[in-house]
Amino acid sequence: MHSTLKMSTSTRREFLAACAAGLVAGRTLAAAADVQAPPVQEFRRGGMVYRRLGRTGMDVSLLSFGSHTDPADRLPAGPEKTVLTPEGQVRRDRIIAHAFDLGVNLLDVYATEGQWEPAAKLVRGRRDKIIISLAHDITPKDIDQAAKFFGYVDLYRFCAQEIDQPTIENWDLLRKAKEAGKIRAIGISTHIERTMTMALDELEGIDFIFFPYNFIHARADYSQFLPSALSNGIGLIAMKPLASGSIMKLDPRARPGAKPEFEDLQLWQRVGKPVLPAAVVELTESLNRLPDETLCMAAMRFVYSRPFLSTALTGMAEDRLLEDNYKALAHYSEMRPEERSALDKARQLASLRGADWLRPDYRWLEEQWRG
Amino acid sequence: MARLISGIILFLCAAAGAAQTVEDRQFKEAGVCARCHVISVVEWGMSHHRQAGIACTSCHGPSPGHVKDERNNIKPERLPRGTAIAGLCAGCHASGCPKTQQTASCQDCHHSHALVDPKKPAMVSDSHLDEISARWSRFAELERRGEELVKAGDWRGASDAYRQALAQKPADRQATERLKMCERRLNPSLPGFEVIGKEFDSQTGLPLHVRVAGSGISMALVPGGEFEMGSERFPAAKPVHTVRVEPFYLGQYELTQAEWKSLMGSNPSAPPAAGQPEPDRMPVDQISWEDCQSLLKKLNDGVPGSGFRLPTEAEWEFAARAGGGTPEAAVPQEPRQMGNQEPNALGLFGLMGSVWEWSSSLYRPYPYVALDGREELDAPGLRVLRGGGYAEWKDWLDPAARHSERPNRRLRGNGMRLARSVPAGL
Repeated sequence: MHSTLKMSTSTRREFLAACAAGLVAGRTLAAAADVQAPPVQEFRRGGMVYRRLGRTGMDVSLLSFGSHTDPADRLPAGPEKTVLTPEGQVRRDRIIAHAFDLGVNLLDVYATEGQWEPAAKLVRGRRDKIIISLAHDITPKDIDQAAKFFGYVDLYRFCAQEIDQPTIENWDLLRKAKEAGKIRAIGISTHIERTMTMALDELEGIDFIFFPYNFIHARADYSQFLPSALSNGIGLIAMKPLASGSIMKLDPRARPGAKPEFEDLQLWQRVGKPVLPAAVVELTESLNRLPDETLCMAAMRFVYSRPFLSTALTGMAEDRLLEDNYKALAHYSEMRPEERSALDKARQLASLRGADWLRPDYRWLEEQWRG
Repeated sequence: MARLISGIILFLCAAAGAAQTVEDRQFKEAGVCARCHVISVVEWGMSHHRQAGIACTSCHGPSPGHVKDERNNIKPERLPRGTAIAGLCAGCHASGCPKTQQTASCQDCHHSHALVDPKKPAMVSDSHLDEISARWSRFAELERRGEELVKAGDWRGASDAYRQALAQKPADRQATERLKMCERRLNPSLPGFEVIGKEFDSQTGLPLHVRVAGSGISMALVPGGEFEMGSERFPAAKPVHTVRVEPFYLGQYELTQAEWKSLMGSNPSAPPAAGQPEPDRMPVDQISWEDCQSLLKKLNDGVPGSGFRLPTEAEWEFAARAGGGTPEAAVPQEPRQMGNQEPNALGLFGLMGSVWEWSSSLYRPYPYVALDGREELDAPGLRVLRGGGYAEWKDWLDPAARHSERPNRRLRGNGMRLARSVPAGL
C-alpha cells in the first residue's frame, strides 16, 4: 500500500519551487522540503534527454510520441474504430520514423485507430530500443494480441474514471499479466485528479500514471498526489502538454499555413468570435522577445522543465510540430523570464476566453485542471 | 651478490606461498562450512581428502545459496545419498577402492567425511560405551520387531515393541512416530472428523479420507514431506528452495457455494452463467481473505477439535505437486462443478484452473520460511492466492505460480479450499 506523504513543513507550492531549484542545482528532487523523492535520473544523448520512468528501470525520452492521429486522415472502420487513409498512414509512419531518428523512444499506440499493425512494423528491427505504450481493453485476449503484435508490451494501461469494482478487477488482471511476464509495467491514464490520488492507494503495484499537464492546466502542482506519487516511485507521464493542440491556437504569430490540430485559423481570428486586441497585443509583444521560439515551444519547455515528469506525450501530425518540440529540448531545464512572461500572457488570454478556446470535447481540462 | 641472495629468498618464499595458498583456500572454504557443520569439517580435517586438496566444494559444489541461507532452506548443490555417493567417489576413484576394488557402497566401510573404517575395533575399551552399544542393539532389535508386527497388522503388539524400544533409546524420533502411528491405527477416530473408508497412511497412521462432522465437507490427508518449492518461470516464485511440510488435511474440492451458504447464510458468488448447472455445487467465489477467516471462525467454534484454516502457500503447492511429484495434468479452464474432473495423486480435485484459492500466507519474497511472520493472521499486507483462475491465462496453471490480493477485496474468481492441521490430542 502506498503511504501518503506528509507535507507538514512545506506547502505544495514550496515543494514545487524546491523541486525546480533542485533540478537546476544538483538535479535532485530530494532537495524539496522533507519529501523522500529519489534524485532525478536523466541523461542526454545527442539532442534528446532521457529520464527514468519511476521505478520501472526504463529510460524514456522527455518527448514521446502520442497516439492521436489527424482527424482529417481518418476513415471509419467499424463501431468506434477508424483507420488512416493510405496517405495519412504514410505521413504518420514517416513522422514516427523521424522521431525515432531524433531519439524519441516512447510510442503510444491506439488500437481503435488501427495503429497496432503499422506501429509493429515500424518498430521491427529496433524493438529493444523503443518503449511501446498501449491502452486497450483489459482481457487476456487483448493482452495476448498486443504481445503478439509487438513481441512484448512495455507499458499497458487503461483509462480509469473511477476506482470502483470493475476498475479493481481490471487492475487485478493487469497485475496478473505483469506477473506472468506479458507486460513490463502497468498503469492508468486518467482525467480526474481524485482518481489519480486514489490510484496510489488502491491499485497495488502501479508503475505509472498518465495525467493531463500543461502550463495552463497545471493543477496537479497543487495536489497531494504529486509528492505521494514521487515518494512511491511512480512514473509520471504528462498528457495534453499542448491541450490537445489548442495552445497552438493561442499563438498570434503562428506561421502562415500552420495547421493547429483541429482548426485552420488562430483563435483571435475566428469569425463570429470577439477579438481580444489588448490581450493579443500583449501576448504578441511578449512573444516578439522570443524571436526563435513559438508559444508551443515555450509551452513544451514548461512541461520539460518539471523534474517530476518523465516524459511529455503529444500527438504530432506534422513534421513541423515534431521539430519544434524537439528544438524545445535545448535549455529545457530552466525557463527564461521572457518565456515565463509569454506563458503568463497566454494564460491570461485563455482565461479571458473562458473554456471556448478548447475543443468542445476537451473543455473538461479547463474545469478540472486549471492551476 | 646481495641481489642474487635476495632474489633466491624471494623465489623460495613465493614458491612456499603458492603451496600454502591452495591449503589456505581450502581451509577458508571449510571455515565457512564449519559455522554450522562443525563435526563434519573436523572429520574432514583428519582425512586424506584434506591432504589431497579435496575441499567441501569439490563434492558439494560451491552452493552459494546454501552458504548464505542460514535457515537451511536452500540445500547444497550436490548432496549425494545412498548409491549416489559411490557415483561421486567414482569421479576420482574410477577403478574403485584401492584395497578391495569395490565400486559400490563406499560408505559401508568409509565414513563420508572422515574416511575411517567403522568396522575396525576400537583401540581402547570403555565399559560405558559398551553399555550404550548394548542398549542400542536392543533398541534396533525391538524396532525391527515392531516393523514386523506393523506388517502383520498387529498394532497392539507393534505399539508395545516401540514403547519398549523407546525405553532403550528415549525420544528417538522415528520410534516415537511409529508408536504414534500404531496408536492411531488402534484408535483411528479424529475429533471433528468422520473417517471415510479404510485407507490409512502407512507413515502416520492417519485416515486418508475424512468428512467434517456436521457439514459433510470431504477432506483428504496430505502426508508431509520435503519438496522443491518455487519455479524459475515466475519472478515471484524464485528461487527454487527446499521446504518441509507437516501432514495436514486439505479439502478434496474447493468450497462450494452450498457449503458456504450453509455456514454463512448467504452466497456471495455471482449468479450462474447460462448453461452452468447446479450452482450450489460450483466453487464459491467473490470472497475476501477476511470472509474466509469469518467462515473458519464459525467452523472452529462449531466443530470439536477446531484447527480449521486456510492452507499455507507451501502446503498448497506441495498438494498441487501431488506430494512432491509432477504437477496436475493440463486441465480445462472453467469454473468446475464439484467432482467434475479427475483427482490428482492425493485425491484432490481442481487445484488448478478453476477459481483462485486463498492461502493463509502473506505475500513475501522467497525463500518461504513459515516462522518469519508470513503466517501471522493479524499482520497487515497482501495475502497469497494460488491455482490460477478460469478466466485467465494457461500460464497460471502451474503449481508454483503466485498471485496476491488485499485481504479485504472480494474479486470475481477468488475462492477457497479448507485445510486443517491434524487434530491434536492423539
